Amino acid sequence: MKITRRIFTSMVAGVALAATGLIGSVSAADMPAPFDKPSEVKIALVRYLSTGDFFQAYLAGVESQAKILGVDLRILDSRQDAALQADMVDQAIALGVDGIIVQHGLTESMQEAVKRAIAAGIKVVAFDVDVENPDVPQIEQSDYMLAKMALDQAIIDNGSTFNVGYVYVPGIAPLDRRDVAWKEVKEANPGIKQLAEFGTLDNPIANSVANQARSVLAANPTITVMFAPYDEFAKGVKIAVDEAGMTSQVKIYSADVSTSDISAMREEGSAWAATAATNPAVVGEVSVRALAMLLAGENPGHNVVVPPTLITQKMLNDGDIKNMKELSAKIPAFAHADVAVPAWMPLPKR
Amino acid sequence: MKQASLSKDKIKAVAIRYGFLTLLAGLVLFFSLSAPGFATPFSAVFIFQSVAITGILALGVTATLVVDGFDLSIGSIATSSLMLSAYIMVVLDQNAVVAVAACLAMGAFVGLVNGFLIVYMRVPDLLATLGMMFLLIGLQRIPTEGRSIAQGMTLPGGETATGVFSKSFLALGRHKFDFFIENFIPFSVIIFVVIAVLIWLYFEFTRYGRVMYAIGSNERAAGLAGVPVHKYKIIAYMISGVLASVGGILLAARLGRGDIASGNNLLLDSVAAALIGFAVLGAAKPNAFGTAIGALFVGILLQGMTMMNAPYYTQDFVKGAVLVVALVFTFSLSNRR
Repeated sequence: MKITRRIFTSMVAGVALAATGLIGSVSAADMPAPFDKPSEVKIALVRYLSTGDFFQAYLAGVESQAKILGVDLRILDSRQDAALQADMVDQAIALGVDGIIVQHGLTESMQEAVKRAIAAGIKVVAFDVDVENPDVPQIEQSDYMLAKMALDQAIIDNGSTFNVGYVYVPGIAPLDRRDVAWKEVKEANPGIKQLAEFGTLDNPIANSVANQARSVLAANPTITVMFAPYDEFAKGVKIAVDEAGMTSQVKIYSADVSTSDISAMREEGSAWAATAATNPAVVGEVSVRALAMLLAGENPGHNVVVPPTLITQKMLNDGDIKNMKELSAKIPAFAHADVAVPAWMPLPKR
Repeated sequence: MKQASLSKDKIKAVAIRYGFLTLLAGLVLFFSLSAPGFATPFSAVFIFQSVAITGILALGVTATLVVDGFDLSIGSIATSSLMLSAYIMVVLDQNAVVAVAACLAMGAFVGLVNGFLIVYMRVPDLLATLGMMFLLIGLQRIPTEGRSIAQGMTLPGGETATGVFSKSFLALGRHKFDFFIENFIPFSVIIFVVIAVLIWLYFEFTRYGRVMYAIGSNERAAGLAGVPVHKYKIIAYMISGVLASVGGILLAARLGRGDIASGNNLLLDSVAAALIGFAVLGAAKPNAFGTAIGALFVGILLQGMTMMNAPYYTQDFVKGAVLVVALVFTFSLSNRR
């Protein structure tokens, strides 16, 4: 291995860190190089998806962690243009950034672009897109765990024998990963019968899914559980359940959470029983922290998984939680993930 | 010989006139037999409710098609009105009347601008409304920095929104009137039917409606006959804008939050409904009755197919197939065009 400037500085950083560790006085003020001069560290967030609450919150997380680190953050947004996203990586290389966070995208288009960045000596982490590169830590919210958690709660609430309507659109990566958990749960519990499968991504999604769910409920009046592992789906199903007057009969289990989901779950007698979610802002923070560790010469591990939290209607009512801010404040597991937190890492204030 | 060809023409005329309605009846019969739960009064109401919003938008499209124009911005007007109503109630803490009035005014204003661009700035209709579409998709996101609007949301400034969706506003999308059966007919369905009847009366029976058809078939001739062409064209876009904003209001009332969405699916579905409408009763031109039937046709198809567990992509496929068949009915079988 050639000793480049970057590797050299990170080795120095490692030694420095060990030294400070010996003295035992680690504070945010003395961070390892290159974060001893954080304003000279430039990182870029190269986005594929940006529209919607989830991506806004993710960005907010990236920004707050970057701010507390004091680094210079550039945001490049390709707005679902895969080719443009690859060009933007090259743009970031030309800008002379030290690190890149790739947020979503397609494996095919990002793989080569990421290779070029690494060849240029830039550290890269990727969120929710597999760039198939051993040098690139993959930040993940565990979609499998999300679905599993919600389904486990469904079994606790309803026993292991019930009829289900399932909302799913194949070919969307996170939904496919959530589908794996559903298939396993179905296999393990022969009493759980899937009577209908439907779903669409026509926007506004909640409205289109509501139309479908109405038909499904009319055709299958014996359904007692709806598994809608995406909150837009769950919102649509809830509208349909309410419109069909089946609110007390059907329970909805979902994944993801937002302020409007919270108010929907907390409506009087709401059919929406539980959801499992990872805080997108926390995922954003973890993405920056993992990149910072790489830049400081540390290894965050190849798979950096941000664990999800189960949120039930009861938890929301007991804590009188009305929005995302209060959710973070009252459910600590949701506000912060103990992932990629070396001792020197400053954390955003809550 | 002559006799035979005459009767053949007659058959063809009947086929064109009633072919599409027969297809619709056949479809209903098929789903009634093969999808349990389809042939119920509740199911019928579901269908009306599911097409109410696209149906209202489609009537707006019809108005612009009548004057030989086109409005690509209706989907984004609808979603802008969705966001605007939510913003007024949740963030500005106003009541339902203010929200509805502001949305209608916004729709009318956007229609006015569209009409102005097309008539006086001479921008082709597709391009002017395309520009308006992008403009609105962006504009609706600026006040909240791209976030959806929900009760109790955290505003960009950090404080919490205090307003709520008023009960009377939500009733527009959720209240059901008793009609033989308790809680049977949703408010949105009544709004759809009333608007459809009004638009139908306007285009079929008023002088103003007929003048719009005249402009659509020959703008110059209509102008030479003394019709204020510019005024009528602008009015057509304003009708379209206002109806789109009504659709957005109903959407907001049903969803109970301001959902960021481009509205492109609303646009495509409503254009499809309006085009399918050409084929109904062999009209071969935009017409309100046909548009309403076209919207119902798509609604019945989607409802029946969902009940039979057909995946979403087959539904798009069938929607497309219906549109193509309808266009063949209109342009190839009918001689009037």
